[in-house]
Amino acid sequence: MSELPPEDDPDMQAQQNVQPNIKVNAEGKRDDEWSQCLQVIANKRDRAAFARLFKHFAPLVKAFAMSGSPLAASHADELVQEVMLKVWQKADGYNPRKAAASTWIYTIARNCRTDMYRRLQKFDTPLAAEDIWVEQEEEEPFVAVQQRRNAARVREMLTQLPQEQAQILAKVYMEGKSHSEVAEDLELPLGTVKSRVRLAMQKLQIMTDQR
Amino acid sequence: MVTHHPDMRLLTEFASGSLPLAQSAAISVHLHFCSHCKRQVNALQDMGAEMFDTLQPADVDDSLLDNVLAHLDDEAPLTYASSAAIDESPVLVQRLMTGDYKDLKWSRINKALQIARLRTGDPEHEFALYHIKAGGSIPCHSHKGTELTLVLEGSFSDEEGVYHQGDFLMRDAEDVHTPTASRTADCICIGVLDAPIRFKPWNYRLLNPFLQLQAS
Ligand SMILES: [Zn+2]
Repeated sequence: MSELPPEDDPDMQAQQNVQPNIKVNAEGKRDDEWSQCLQVIANKRDRAAFARLFKHFAPLVKAFAMSGSPLAASHADELVQEVMLKVWQKADGYNPRKAAASTWIYTIARNCRTDMYRRLQKFDTPLAAEDIWVEQEEEEPFVAVQQRRNAARVREMLTQLPQEQAQILAKVYMEGKSHSEVAEDLELPLGTVKSRVRLAMQKLQIMTDQR
Repeated sequence: MVTHHPDMRLLTEFASGSLPLAQSAAISVHLHFCSHCKRQVNALQDMGAEMFDTLQPADVDDSLLDNVLAHLDDEAPLTYASSAAIDESPVLVQRLMTGDYKDLKWSRINKALQIARLRTGDPEHEFALYHIKAGGSIPCHSHKGTELTLVLEGSFSDEEGVYHQGDFLMRDAEDVHTPTASRTADCICIGVLDAPIRFKPWNYRLLNPFLQLQAS
């Protein structure tokens, strides 16, 4: 497959039509194990369910913390506790129509990591991550469905990205680096980093008409 | 209808958390007005979540779970309702301002332009509101770094186009432009700068607050 399949590439079309491998029930709610678990935590304040969720996600949050800046990585355990406590406190704000449990927990982890990083650098700011990444209001059903399709496709296609693109995305998302920091890291021109990210986005069909 | 959007680099860095605070704040305000970019950011977040989901899990000591379990009944810190109706000014801007536009500390640059800086805590970027009188312009200027602009109220135009509420612009150092507010209404926009701005005519120099970038 070439680097950048044209929009009307039949292979691409076929992949698009693959039935997304994601469980959504008749009311458009997710009903995978972790989404259910989160709802039980929210509705019943069930500690056993929370412990189960913790055992699955805490190691991911810790891995996420450790792949970030060294400053934040040295506080990885602290971040795990902060994130998981937030999950418990905010569980009733989780909406299974909008996001998978892992997406919801990822955004909490990202917010906490960013806040922690700023705190450790002694930023004096009136803004918290939650003011910047405002939780989205209820979207129209069509949009929500569309988004679930996107998520399923992204999962599928992420595994098929060329290594050079996957590596950059990992640095951007998991290490939390800017494009220019990634360029410095890999000793690549900034333009190369930008275009690899673009190619990856195009392949994942995340980028639509943006420059 | 919003027609000028942040580019993919900005949205990706916003979604992944590496964009500096003041710039992130400007993007966040754009998302308040733009459902197109909101969807893009959601998709970008979904991608981050996929990568998160497939990380190699790290060892977590059992004591952490015990610790968290022991704190489950602690009172959750107060959170602010952060979703506002679409027609209100963005929550984030309200958060940065105390009171109304008129209560801000405006510095007058000339008879058509005044500027109020808002403190975001970002040490490397300045986040300010520009108030351009109807028909007035920001003096022709160039800047060393990137300039992000977002229209909060009214509209303005420059050499390249017309920008309405919610529109987002990024200008690089080499771009020289003269934003002019529409004749019919004042324009208020957010400007985020990462390096001192220089107004071209010499007589603005003394008045120019950006010669000394105030990192606040
Ligand atoms: Zn937009």
